[in-house]
Amino acid sequence: MGDQSNSPSSSIDSSSHPALCSTSSIFQTRRDLLSTDLKLGLGLSTSALHGCSSKEREQLSHWPPIKPLLRSTLEEKVHRSHSKTFFVKVYMEGLPIGRKLDLLSHNGYDSLMRTLRRMFRTTITCPDTSRVPPEKAHVLTYEDEEGDWMMVGDVPWEFFLRTVKRLKITRADKC
Amino acid sequence: MVRGFGWAAAFPDEVWEHVFSFLAADADRNAVALVCRAWHRIERRSRRRVFVGNCYAVAPAAAVRRFPEVRAAAIKGKPHFADFNLVPTDWGGGAEAWVEAMAEGWPHLEELRLKRMVVSDDCLELIARSFKNFGVLSLVSCDGFSTAGLAAIAANCRSSPVHTSVGLEVAILVSVASEGVNELSLVYLLLSSADIPYLRNLRELDLHENEVEDNCLNWISHFPESFTSLVSLNIACLEGDVNTSVLECLISRCPNLKTLRLNHAMPLEKLVSLLQRAPQLVDVGTSKFSADHHPELFSKLESTFAGFKHLKSLSGIWEAGPTYLPAIYSVCESLTSLNLCYATIQSPELLKFVSRCKNLQRLWVMDLIEDNGLIAVAASCKLLQELRVFPSDPYGVAPPISLTEHGLVAISAGCLMLHSVLYFCRQMTNAALLTIANNRPNLTCFRLCIIEPHTPDYISQEPLDAGFSAIVESCKDLRRLSLSGLLTDRVFKSIGASANRLEMLSVAFAGDSDAGLHYILSGCKNLRKLEIRDCPFGDKALLDNASKLETMRSLWMSSCSVTLGACRQLALKMPRLNVEVIDERRGRPLESWPDDFPVEKLYIYRTVAGPRSDTPPCVWTV
Repeated sequence: MGDQSNSPSSSIDSSSHPALCSTSSIFQTRRDLLSTDLKLGLGLSTSALHGCSSKEREQLSHWPPIKPLLRSTLEEKVHRSHSKTFFVKVYMEGLPIGRKLDLLSHNGYDSLMRTLRRMFRTTITCPDTSRVPPEKAHVLTYEDEEGDWMMVGDVPWEFFLRTVKRLKITRADKC
Repeated sequence: MVRGFGWAAAFPDEVWEHVFSFLAADADRNAVALVCRAWHRIERRSRRRVFVGNCYAVAPAAAVRRFPEVRAAAIKGKPHFADFNLVPTDWGGGAEAWVEAMAEGWPHLEELRLKRMVVSDDCLELIARSFKNFGVLSLVSCDGFSTAGLAAIAANCRSSPVHTSVGLEVAILVSVASEGVNELSLVYLLLSSADIPYLRNLRELDLHENEVEDNCLNWISHFPESFTSLVSLNIACLEGDVNTSVLECLISRCPNLKTLRLNHAMPLEKLVSLLQRAPQLVDVGTSKFSADHHPELFSKLESTFAGFKHLKSLSGIWEAGPTYLPAIYSVCESLTSLNLCYATIQSPELLKFVSRCKNLQRLWVMDLIEDNGLIAVAASCKLLQELRVFPSDPYGVAPPISLTEHGLVAISAGCLMLHSVLYFCRQMTNAALLTIANNRPNLTCFRLCIIEPHTPDYISQEPLDAGFSAIVESCKDLRRLSLSGLLTDRVFKSIGASANRLEMLSVAFAGDSDAGLHYILSGCKNLRKLEIRDCPFGDKALLDNASKLETMRSLWMSSCSVTLGACRQLALKMPRLNVEVIDERRGRPLESWPDDFPVEKLYIYRTVAGPRSDTPPCVWTV
């Protein structure tokens, strides 16, 4: 999954290839298994990965031939491995020194926001709250794979984890 | 007086029976039964053990009728590939028909072993109340039952002696019974009217890799207080918690307990207090082997294991961390069998542990042991006979580990008694296979799984034909072989020609054409089981070798190039084969499909029972 890009056009390509999974199936896959694959996917070179998540590949071909008990033990082990981390740089506008944050220690946007508010001692609003942000407030933005700066919170958490390169807290009136 | 050949009548039946009792192998007893009618009769009445490799090969009633005095039965159901989810869950292999027939015809049955069968709770209840002297129940890779069924088994385990005054009454009545009255029926009449419970001495309850539904948490408490005959208990496959204090009571009152394999749900502290009660254990399967470090727990674990003076076999060790493994170093020296295939610990700790086990004969381990680990094993475990190395990362998501062909080559060079190998790895060379073949011509089982299909020799980029050919040519006693990697028809030519003792062959993602399958089926004199997936094998080889299929137990082919027409022809030609076409896409019934319809999965087996009556919707007997 790590070598699949996330733009909509690629999902059409991937769904026409029988060996790869369509993006719709990404959301159908069990959430925790998906996030585990991503956690692992972020830690290694793309050459080691094949088109599908482990669960779907297994259902496709039931290969390699290992018994269900061993398979479930390994999957559990993978879920349990807490040693994977994904640190990104976080800058706040106006502060030259940035911080580093482990995204994998959070399970969603709420958790991330809480941590950032604590780290930078400021109000950070999310795009899904419809209140007009006061002048002193900030919004959280991120730089994605393509180098574009985007508002945090629009895409599902797992998707976000795959594309985020760094974070920046900017003043609300700039957006 | 027996009529027949003069020499057969020279001795009374009991003498022949005694002679036959020295024949353990079924093949020998079968041969004896063909000599003359007298021997056939004597042999069938004296056969005590029956093995049915395919539950559909013979009708249960027929088997029970032929051998009326059986004490131990072993029956297998689903094809081997069911272990890897290739067989639909409703395919069959139900145990009811067999258990019902046995309950009626073999009331003295003592041992029952079922593998890959669907066993319901009703079946377990029937087993619990049908066999007076039941001693051993072994369920391997079965499903369909729950802990409620186990409770029924446990509840019927009563070991109580016959009341003496009633016994006396029985003896008197028997002695005055006239010749015409069946003495035995009189005895049973008395026993049942006196309402004496059946004598039960369950010694072994072995649940190995079954899928068990957990709906009766305290099933172990159903073992009566008077039950003390347990010798072996294996509950490793149960997922739920087991009441530790009840288990402790059970263990404490069973002085003959030799094997105890627990499930992973039990915390380490509870495991320790349990094991302390049974220092006589020979075979231990631990539960979860990790916990936060507590010096107290460490020393308790250490002293418990130091107390095991007779421990030979160790398994379980789920999720082992480096913290607690050193606590059990004391048993390493005496171990002959070590199963660490659920222990996902890294190489240094793994190595430290395994290299202390100098008397190891069987080692099952994760590939986390790496080549260095295997080199160390080759140097320290000189008595090693069986090695299995499992993949810790089968789907290739984590960084690759350093387990390659070098590890296996080192083992083949250092372990002179090695005869059985199962090895998962990601790369192989023909040269390595050649070296292994030359080092270990005594191999009887060689199963190599190169994880990525169609992987060639990574140095020469050639197919691995030469390597596997060397294996079959050098290892004359090879009985089981699994192939992998890039392979052409050439390897099948060698196998067909050289693998004369081969009984089971597993093939996946190999071959170029029908010629490959033809080489196998026209050679391999002793082939019993052939299982093939994702190979370009088709109709011609099957039809040209139709008669070979009746000499084998079974053939499985999935994702190959067989058409329905060939299956129809085969079924017509060979009435004593069941040709089962399995298609889970369903839709129209089989009859309406054309001859060129591609068959998704095919299972062919010889049988004297005709087509089975319990096929599910996705299976058609052609």
